[in-house]
Amino acid sequence: MLQFDRVTLPESSEALRAEVRAFLQQNAEHLERPNSDFTTGHDPEFSKKLGRQGWIGMTWPKRYGGGERSFFERYVVTEELLAAGAPVSAHWIADRQSGNLILRFGSEAQRERYLPPITRGESYFSIGMSEPNSGSDLASVRTGARRDGDGWRINGTKLWSTDAHRNHFMIALVRTEPPSENRHAGLSQIIVDLKNDGVQIRPIRNMAGGEDFNEVVFDDVWVPADRVIGEPGNGWRQVTSELAYERSGPERFLSAFRVFVEFTRLAGDRPEPGVAQAIGRLASHLLTLRRMSISVAGMLEEGKSPEVEAALVKALGNDFEKLLPEVARLAATGRSTQSAEYRRFREALTDTLLLSPSFTLRGGTREILRGVIARGLGLR
Amino acid sequence: MTSNDLLLDSAGRIFADHSDKAVLDAAERGEFPERLWNALVENGFHQLAMPDSGVELADVFAVIGLAGRHALPLPFAEALLANRWLGDSARLGSIGLVQGDRVVDVPWGRRAELILALDAERGAYALLDGGGAGVYVEQDRNAAGEPRDAVPLPEGVTWMPLTEPAAAFLALSRGIAMAGGLERVLDLSLQYANEREQFGRPIARFQAIQHNLALMAGEVAAARRAADAAVDAIGGERFELEVAAAKSRVGEAVGIAAEIAHQVHGAMGFTHEHQLHHFTRRLWAWRDEHGNEAFWQQRLGRHLAALGADRLWDFLATRG
Repeated sequence: MLQFDRVTLPESSEALRAEVRAFLQQNAEHLERPNSDFTTGHDPEFSKKLGRQGWIGMTWPKRYGGGERSFFERYVVTEELLAAGAPVSAHWIADRQSGNLILRFGSEAQRERYLPPITRGESYFSIGMSEPNSGSDLASVRTGARRDGDGWRINGTKLWSTDAHRNHFMIALVRTEPPSENRHAGLSQIIVDLKNDGVQIRPIRNMAGGEDFNEVVFDDVWVPADRVIGEPGNGWRQVTSELAYERSGPERFLSAFRVFVEFTRLAGDRPEPGVAQAIGRLASHLLTLRRMSISVAGMLEEGKSPEVEAALVKALGNDFEKLLPEVARLAATGRSTQSAEYRRFREALTDTLLLSPSFTLRGGTREILRGVIARGLGLR
Repeated sequence: MTSNDLLLDSAGRIFADHSDKAVLDAAERGEFPERLWNALVENGFHQLAMPDSGVELADVFAVIGLAGRHALPLPFAEALLANRWLGDSARLGSIGLVQGDRVVDVPWGRRAELILALDAERGAYALLDGGGAGVYVEQDRNAAGEPRDAVPLPEGVTWMPLTEPAAAFLALSRGIAMAGGLERVLDLSLQYANEREQFGRPIARFQAIQHNLALMAGEVAAARRAADAAVDAIGGERFELEVAAAKSRVGEAVGIAAEIAHQVHGAMGFTHEHQLHHFTRRLWAWRDEHGNEAFWQQRLGRHLAALGADRLWDFLATRG
């Protein structure tokens, strides 16, 4: 049975929460966004301000610019930012997983070089996993790197790399040995400098009108040997270890939160039973998902690798992100569409609806997650 | 082992010994499980929720959850809470709800010697004799075949003020029992999927089955976390609202999980001979008892609407 312990946030988290809220109030000009999706607001100025607050790389050692704070404190900061609709996408991946990966598997020189600028909110990372022919089947990646002098020469194409056209680095999962019977062998993770290594980056417009994800082409791109993270060939183990960080956070159930807020505003203080019911239903889901997510933060804090629990939180959370706009949409029916409240609601609803297909695709599809959970249940 | 683990361990042993398929079937035919009740009294479990029992209420609810896991066929939560509010008694107590001039939905009212009549609107309760004390009882049952009886409300009963949120306690007792029942149903489904072979392999190897069970596991885990959170809120100012969230979230999980459990079990699970229905029918019945999803969602939603959109997040971002 999968266990989600009754974890309570430490008392110290409340003072921190108040700090974050005060900071957000002082920086309200950054919050004018119609949705609360973590991938759609790229704002380096805001990221640098967060860096000055010490809110990036919070759990990392101080000698790399980190705050040596707990996963719970990081949790409080990230959920407050998301709930307020803050533009966090610039530093998000670096803070959530790239930095942790470098910290855990990288060389001392890599830690000293890459981590401090991340914590200052100045250095941004993209994920380089998917390819045109490798989505859910990640182990089938074909982008290859071969030894060339004191470095590696990379050829291939990465796809769906969010903000690669804006960010500084990508951690690319590449094949450094030819495919063998063990398809998880021979993969490596290499840091690519997106501004200086000569990769070709083409933004891809999404159905919501945004240009956030990209195709990144490597045509004989050479990188020095010290860009490899960990041992060559250890890529699969490293890349799967990122998943507990990637999958369990509040961004996996708060993407549609803005709709909930505007729906509640539209409902007024004495809503009819059906509308109250919709609000209560959504709240009951959100309270529970958040607690499950905090349970996983507790496991991370204890140094565990809760990959199955994280997959479960993400699967459940993503389904909720899709349920939310549907429940609100139907419960809001019959109201005047001309009020300012309704316009705000509709703007959030439309924006979120158009982004919603990505919720159950990015970071592991619902189908992949269910497979992970099934394995955890002993079914495969 | 903590004292909580020891308590759950000894309760679990009694439940397992005295709540097998034969006992469940007999209870459904109307035979009260006297041996089970006697074993509980002998071991002091009827006094578990008394203010001086030395057991935290949170642990009492954990035991009620375990009773749900075993589909315990007697009014366990009611007997415990009646003793908490009425004082020590080895006589079986139960609890019903005042509706007009009757007290309805009394679990095992036909067998209970004492009935606590709860009038939530009045914020009060009255003490009545039950069927076990010779009072006329109108027999009825829920979808699980559990007795849910009615007695007339005598004129001139003495009303006493409630000092605890009794309605929320009862709703939570169903919520936590459903969480326990859901875990049992998941265990049964996993076991069945691994054993049952079709097309030359266990059906657990089929992706369609795996995905349904993964979905079910998510609902079951959510139900457990939601119910535990409400238990943790006992004594706090948010308690009733956390019960609202828990009872409704668990109720939603029941709808999804029980459906999948039966689909996985196939026709076997549709037979009376199989034990699955003892759990799924209780889950279906319990989600409607002491306020269903709609009731509690409206309660929670009214509170949040009154708080306003700009304080919604603050309510959700609780420490506990």
